[in-house]
Amino acid sequence: MAAVYGVTRFEFDEEKDLENYAVFLADVVHGTPPWRPLFFVESWGRWVYRAVQRAAEQLSLPTTKGWDARYIDGYSYLAVIETSEQEAKKREPVFRKRIRPYIEDFDAIWEQRKTDMMNTYKELKKGYGLKKYGDIKKLSNIELLDLFDDYMQVDRKQWGIHMEMMVPAYYLFGLFEQMCNELLGFGYADPLFAKLMTGFDSMVFRFNKKIWRLGNRAVELGLGELFRTTKDDKVLLSRLEDSEAGRKWLKEYYDFLEVHGWRNERMLDWATPSWIEKPSLGIPLIKVAITSGGTYTIDERRGQAIREREKAEKEVLDRVPAEQRGWFETLMKAAQKAGYWSEDHNYYLDLYCNGIGRWITREIGQRFAEAGVIDDPEDVYFLLADDIEKALVPMGKNKLHHQVNVRKKEWEGYLEVTPRPYYGNIDLAQEILRKDPVISVATSVPIIRKDVKADFYGAASSPGVVEGIARVIVTENKLAELKPGEILVAPGTSAPWTPAFEMIKGVITDGGGALSHAVILAREYGIPAVTGCLEATKKIKTGQRVKVDGNLGVVHILRNNKA
Amino acid sequence: MVSEKLVLWFEEVGKDDRELVGRKCANLGEMARIGLRVPPGFALSVEAYKDFMSMTGVVDEIGEYLAKSKPKDLKQCKQASVDIRQIVQSKAMPEKIEKAIVSHYNELSRRCHTDEIAVSTRSAGTVSHPGQYETYLNVVGGPALVDKIKQVWASTFNTRSLVFRSRKKMPLESDPIGIAVQKMVKARAAGVIFTADPNTGDAARMIIEGNWGLGESVVGGESTPDIYILDKKSLKIQEKKLGPKSRYVTFKKGGVIEKKAPPGKSGKFCLSDEEVREIGKLGKVLEKHFGEAQDVEWAVEEDRLLPESIILLQTRAELIAQNKTPIDQIVDLMLDRFSRGVGYDGGKM
Repeated sequence: MAAVYGVTRFEFDEEKDLENYAVFLADVVHGTPPWRPLFFVESWGRWVYRAVQRAAEQLSLPTTKGWDARYIDGYSYLAVIETSEQEAKKREPVFRKRIRPYIEDFDAIWEQRKTDMMNTYKELKKGYGLKKYGDIKKLSNIELLDLFDDYMQVDRKQWGIHMEMMVPAYYLFGLFEQMCNELLGFGYADPLFAKLMTGFDSMVFRFNKKIWRLGNRAVELGLGELFRTTKDDKVLLSRLEDSEAGRKWLKEYYDFLEVHGWRNERMLDWATPSWIEKPSLGIPLIKVAITSGGTYTIDERRGQAIREREKAEKEVLDRVPAEQRGWFETLMKAAQKAGYWSEDHNYYLDLYCNGIGRWITREIGQRFAEAGVIDDPEDVYFLLADDIEKALVPMGKNKLHHQVNVRKKEWEGYLEVTPRPYYGNIDLAQEILRKDPVISVATSVPIIRKDVKADFYGAASSPGVVEGIARVIVTENKLAELKPGEILVAPGTSAPWTPAFEMIKGVITDGGGALSHAVILAREYGIPAVTGCLEATKKIKTGQRVKVDGNLGVVHILRNNKA
Repeated sequence: MVSEKLVLWFEEVGKDDRELVGRKCANLGEMARIGLRVPPGFALSVEAYKDFMSMTGVVDEIGEYLAKSKPKDLKQCKQASVDIRQIVQSKAMPEKIEKAIVSHYNELSRRCHTDEIAVSTRSAGTVSHPGQYETYLNVVGGPALVDKIKQVWASTFNTRSLVFRSRKKMPLESDPIGIAVQKMVKARAAGVIFTADPNTGDAARMIIEGNWGLGESVVGGESTPDIYILDKKSLKIQEKKLGPKSRYVTFKKGGVIEKKAPPGKSGKFCLSDEEVREIGKLGKVLEKHFGEAQDVEWAVEEDRLLPESIILLQTRAELIAQNKTPIDQIVDLMLDRFSRGVGYDGGKM
């Protein structure tokens, strides 16, 4: 049993904890590589699990009260808080009432929540007179501290809305998949299922379209050659300053970033730069847009996807017995919206909120470094909220090198760890996953298959079979290493990984369920995906030839096969 | 004409005698006629109810009472229920009816080779309102039976029924019903089978729910039962879900009691695969015979061997969620698929 970064909240007591919970499953989707203490303790650990618990209460979920969490060797482990039979009976009638609006009109609720959230961000900035990104420099230290506190409440709200929407989304999506299986005999692995779920226009896609437009603008302004020939993105940005056309383009780009640049290189973390802070982060995407030509490929594909979806909808409904078509169609529409939501929400919730988190914590880090409180601005991420409060006012008097050193050492130790996929009785995991279909967003249960021999067994998430060279990428900042036609091997993916899907032939992930980002994009782009392979990023080496079988949900490493 | 009879053996009635003895008794008679195993027993006709009410003068007393109190809201109906049931139960059973009941009971005991056979008494309405009226289980001896029959009749004036009739603008002063008196089955396990999926209407699947002990724990929905899903055509078991079955209903002197399930039992399926298939087979026979999906109560009798151990307690046309809104059906499915027992084919999520 050990405190985590000196905090006891997530200590794991193997004996006692396993009396209370059958099994703890590692969250390899979000927590890889291990977070630095500030984000984990003050944001993720504080709000995420509480938000799941709140959503379970608000919806009166019959079988689960949400998740409990422990932190073991640098990784989060989740356990489902199961209800007793009596509790389940009591919660059921309330659940019946509360789930209804989400089935009736998921979109309307989401529209309302996202408007509310965007206003909340705006109010937070306005309350401190912050109009532009650079305005934060004008705040006094005490104002900055207050902003940090207020931000934490905004972060809490963001996670609340996140889980309020995510829980019904998973119930709808999971039920639809199951009913497709029961009635029509097809699931995720069927191309038909993939077709039903594609062709929706989420904010992530609209964002990518804006990137494409910026690429087109560069060509229009005669800057195409400069973009194509300047390898270093920072050099490119400074060269653009040299010409009239370049400055014009830069202004458009910076205007774009003021609105849409609130996104960090790693979506769920503050310890990587945001686009608005480091404009070169957007350049690789713009370069891809320029080299791939004028039309936005996904737009073309979308037109086709919509037509195919409509055809698939008709085909599926025709196969459903007439007397069951009513509820089936309602469920299908709700499940489609749930799928759309899982893409759309990233922009408004995870990305935007953490972009603001980065903005504030980065400013604190810089002031600390200038005043000699810590050595490097990025060391702020090894502090906790209490340390920040102690040292921000009075600035410069209280030094925090010791705190940074101790926690950095602990964190560096975690980087060496290969997490165990679970603690406890894994045989019960399937039943628990069923009682809490939401937890599959973060975890995977080892799948053992006797019928096929393979190197990895996962979930057949997007259909198709493909062979290719593996590229193992654990963090977003390594995405530039990807070469067209490779197979991406990742712990899990999130919105900033989207451009990668333009180039890859297949995807393999360690964790994640049916609504995880990688799966949705794989379906959208029509490439095979096997998710939940647990240790793919550890055991597959970049350069190895692999075969991804999205129909069976297995991965083969093709040894001695250089064909 | 048979209809003058106050008490009839099940074998004497069939499915068209709904108006005579109530739906439940008519269907039990029909099952007996086509050679299915139902517990032996007899029916009190709807006429017996009417006779009791008129011969004892209860009908007039209730009429006067209602003319005075005119119950409308829930509170008034509650009071009226207490008062009227008091009136009904205070009356002695007319000799003619009592004699018919007791002689049939004695004959039933004789047929079962015992002095005083334990029976159940259940209401049998001419139109189905399941669960509305009282049921008495494990009733032993003529006098006790006569008393319980009065209580079942009196339960047509329970608050729920008064409110229901008042809302539907039906007459409050009576609701003539039949009563089924059946030998109690010493059930090792019991439950229901739906010959079509009640949530989706899927006619290719049959759903069996079962628990240890008497069927009341399943029908009443207090305990989460085991669930078996059968392919109707092949009778292949597609799926088994182990329910927690934390409580079960068993015999006690002069009635039944709900008990906490011993740990060894709640963790085990209450039916063998052979039993499941036999119940499924019977469900198919009933659906075919009655020409529509059925909701059947069954029990597995202790100390008997398959297939004789499977006893049918009642059957009725299944209420399928057709009339529910799509949203309600989706919520039902969510609860069914995510809240009960072990998952479908596993490994997919």
